[in-house]
Amino acid sequence: MFLQQLVNGLTLGTTYALIALGYTMVYGIIQLINFAHGEVYMIGAFVGLILVGVYQVNFVLAMVGAMAVCMVVAILIERIAYRPLRRSTRLAPLISAIGMSTVLQTGVTLLRGGPNPLPFPHVVEDTVYVLGPVQFSLIQLLILIVAAGLMIGLQYIVKYTRTGKAMRAASEDFETAQLMGINVNRVISFTFALGAALAGAGGVLVGMYFNSIHPFMGVSVGLKSFCAAVVGGIGSIPGAMLGGIFLGIAEVMGVAAGFDTYKEAIAFALLILVLLFRPTGILGHPIQKKV
Amino acid sequence: MNKRYGVLLLAVLLLALAAAGCSSSQQAEQPAAPAEVIKIGFLGAKTGGHAHYGIETLKGMQMAVDDLNAQGGVAGKKLEIVEGDHGSNTSEAANVTQKLITQKVSAIVGDPTTGITLTAAQICQPAKVVLLSAGAVGPGVVEIGDYIYRDTLLDSVAAPAVTKYLANELKWKKVVVVTTTGLPYSEGLTGIFKPALIQNGIEIVAEQSIMEKDTNFSAQVTSLAQKQFDGVVFTGYYTEGALFMKEMRKQGLNQVMVGGDGLLGKELYQLGEKAVEGSMVYAGFAADEKNAAGVTKQFIDKYKNKFGTLPDMFASQGYDAVMILAGAMKQSNSGDPTVFKTALAQTKNFQGVTGNISFDSRREPIKSPVYLLEVKDAAFSVKSVIPVAQP
Amino acid sequence: MEIVREFFSNPYYVQVMTLMGIFLISALGLNLITGITGQFSFGHAAFMSIGAYCSALLSLHLPLPFLLNLVVGGIAAALFGVLLGFPSLRLTGDYLGITTLGFGEIVRVVFINLKVTGGARGLAGIPKETAPWLVLILVLASLAAVYRLQYSRYGRALTAIREDEIAAEAMGINTVRYKIQAFALGTFFAGISGGLFAHLIQYLNPSDFGFARSFEILNYVVLGGLGSIPGTVLGTAVLSLAPEFLRFVKDYRMLIYGGLMVAMMIFRPHGLLGGVDLQRWWRRWRQPREMSGGAV
Repeated sequence: MFLQQLVNGLTLGTTYALIALGYTMVYGIIQLINFAHGEVYMIGAFVGLILVGVYQVNFVLAMVGAMAVCMVVAILIERIAYRPLRRSTRLAPLISAIGMSTVLQTGVTLLRGGPNPLPFPHVVEDTVYVLGPVQFSLIQLLILIVAAGLMIGLQYIVKYTRTGKAMRAASEDFETAQLMGINVNRVISFTFALGAALAGAGGVLVGMYFNSIHPFMGVSVGLKSFCAAVVGGIGSIPGAMLGGIFLGIAEVMGVAAGFDTYKEAIAFALLILVLLFRPTGILGHPIQKKV
Repeated sequence: MNKRYGVLLLAVLLLALAAAGCSSSQQAEQPAAPAEVIKIGFLGAKTGGHAHYGIETLKGMQMAVDDLNAQGGVAGKKLEIVEGDHGSNTSEAANVTQKLITQKVSAIVGDPTTGITLTAAQICQPAKVVLLSAGAVGPGVVEIGDYIYRDTLLDSVAAPAVTKYLANELKWKKVVVVTTTGLPYSEGLTGIFKPALIQNGIEIVAEQSIMEKDTNFSAQVTSLAQKQFDGVVFTGYYTEGALFMKEMRKQGLNQVMVGGDGLLGKELYQLGEKAVEGSMVYAGFAADEKNAAGVTKQFIDKYKNKFGTLPDMFASQGYDAVMILAGAMKQSNSGDPTVFKTALAQTKNFQGVTGNISFDSRREPIKSPVYLLEVKDAAFSVKSVIPVAQP
Repeated sequence: MEIVREFFSNPYYVQVMTLMGIFLISALGLNLITGITGQFSFGHAAFMSIGAYCSALLSLHLPLPFLLNLVVGGIAAALFGVLLGFPSLRLTGDYLGITTLGFGEIVRVVFINLKVTGGARGLAGIPKETAPWLVLILVLASLAAVYRLQYSRYGRALTAIREDEIAAEAMGINTVRYKIQAFALGTFFAGISGGLFAHLIQYLNPSDFGFARSFEILNYVVLGGLGSIPGTVLGTAVLSLAPEFLRFVKDYRMLIYGGLMVAMMIFRPHGLLGGVDLQRWWRRWRQPREMSGGAV
């Protein structure tokens, strides 16, 4: 049974990882906590719902569609709420981010006609595959495979493409990257788009997994995924993946042990512990503060 | 962007806020309501997780008010409903209750949920306004004070009756109990089911806890997968119930659940789809078209004509609630709660839509029978009508 | 004057004003921590809840005078504030913000689970002790306290920490001590306001003090201008009275707030009164002729 819970945790964890990646990449480049990222994930779920429910597409198309829409949304958010503030105090973009996330939550609530959960239609059969002592439902397998595929794709882009290199350069040293002729605006937009694509895919996957979405689903998941990113090491892509999975497993184990009512606090407790004892996270690089 | 335009935009936004404020506050400051109207407050949710209960109760209330006004009103005055929508939010509910009282309602019908009724009662009792809940079935409500009432079929008598049915008719021997922690209704109902189950020889093989708004039940269901049991006793609300059942089917478990009127909402099968087929819900009332008679039949027909579907427990109890209040007001010829509450407490053998209602010496309602509904083909149908032993 | 009398005899309006005063006290505390000392604190509402629950439990179970319960609540909140002050020593900016946010959430979850505070069902039946005049007195006292603080050596040290912590340390300011004191004082205010809230609404629910509430109070301070005390007053006034007027568009209210925050940050990040030195205005108003510059 422990192994089965591990499977549950792994599945949940990969969804957190998908979202955590968006946070970590954006923070790595512009040192901003993109509070609105959780809402991008939520929008992905809703777009997926519309595509599947109204237009009856299969789940692959729904995911691709959601990813595309989320990329556009994220680029818009960056343009409107963050770019004008690049030169201001640290607090300003944070507040702007929170404001933006509120706008998105309320906007979707109004469009949907209320904060009530919406059922996500069945796209995938409920078949169960047994592998020794554990069983995987088809949807769990799908989540694991898709998430793994996306993360591999991300690593490829970051490591082997020119834009990926530009991203890494900008995240290492923003000003020098600019001096080297890198169009940082484009790189930043690209980063936002990448993160949003992953989050959007995550939204569709979660919608299919739990069969229920609502306009505020991004709030708790967003915060928890951010905690995962920090625990894994903010700015580090493998760190975000690790952090997400770790958090998912921790949460499921906590619930299995009977602590369901504390599960929201697990993420934050881990966060505070990590920040106090290893602030750079499990895989992070130490940050030098220059005077 | 030009800074000046920006500041202008800001100024416009703020002015809009202020202007909107002034104009609407004019509206809010109506002169004190003409003395020809008796105001009845509606406390409930029209949005959020409890919306189904609130919307239905309001429908029933409105039908009653329309009927009464058509007959000339009560004690020479017309009735009017003042709505208070708390959006399924407990602290907002406290605010809304306070606001209704300030608007000088004679009585408040609400809340459909036990938890919020407890909160509202704490406010209504010292304010000397009658609160009559058309949905609170959990314990500890009317004990709060002599202005607090309800017209529901109490869990404390219904759940044991249903348990007996599960043991004797369905031959259940083992169950799992799932409680929604932090929900007074659910915690109360679990507290009533557990001794009843033991008394009827049913073993509780496991207990799980979930919270309102949870969507991820994979851990809890996995813990149950190895166990043997005949059914799930689910004491929470319809959203979580539906999703829990779905998770069970996903992991290959086929047992059905049974629960109280917290599961009574069309969202149960809209969200739960095939997973909730066969699940059972008990309620103080169900529209049994074949056997209905008298005022019940009239109400069912009128509701069907108006809304196109059959009324459920919330609408009917909402209707009865207003009627019971009106009865007491007519008897005392007054819309003043300090006056009519005495007549209210003495209501006996009131022929309501939901059955025969009397208030006992503790002001708890005495009603029978309890209706056991089953989800069949994406609708609730009456599985059995179980007589209830009175305490 | 008729209007004034009618206004104050309406219990609903009085309640709204009293609530505004209560949140103002809390906002002044946050202004001290984030506005003046520059330490991000996104869990301020949690301290209100600590003060609220403490004082409420004392009122319900012990026959102690209300004011004592109130102060004890404030001290309890301040103790946790000091606790939170310690991580602030090691973390900066965003990280501190997230830690405080996390702390706020943990407090909320703990209160949901604690049986003695009623759990998710909340705590009801708290005696009504908060009188409007008491709130008024406390608001004035808080304003006086924060003003004296800001325009003293102490306040200047806090501002120095905000502007450049390393330089401040180099100038001999014991940043550790000052930061912790700022947290303690700011959260004390929050605790007091929480106790007042509990004894006014007579009902406490953990969900009242989550991140949404912390963000709301942050909005009050930011709208008025971080670090500006009159700004905090203005921000609190505008934003707590607006919902009363906006009830008819309450669905759009949060949308407007969010949009307002984004717009504020882009066009006027200093807030409405940030950078506005009211003392200078005051002096200028009193002695107009002396302020006309050299050129004629």
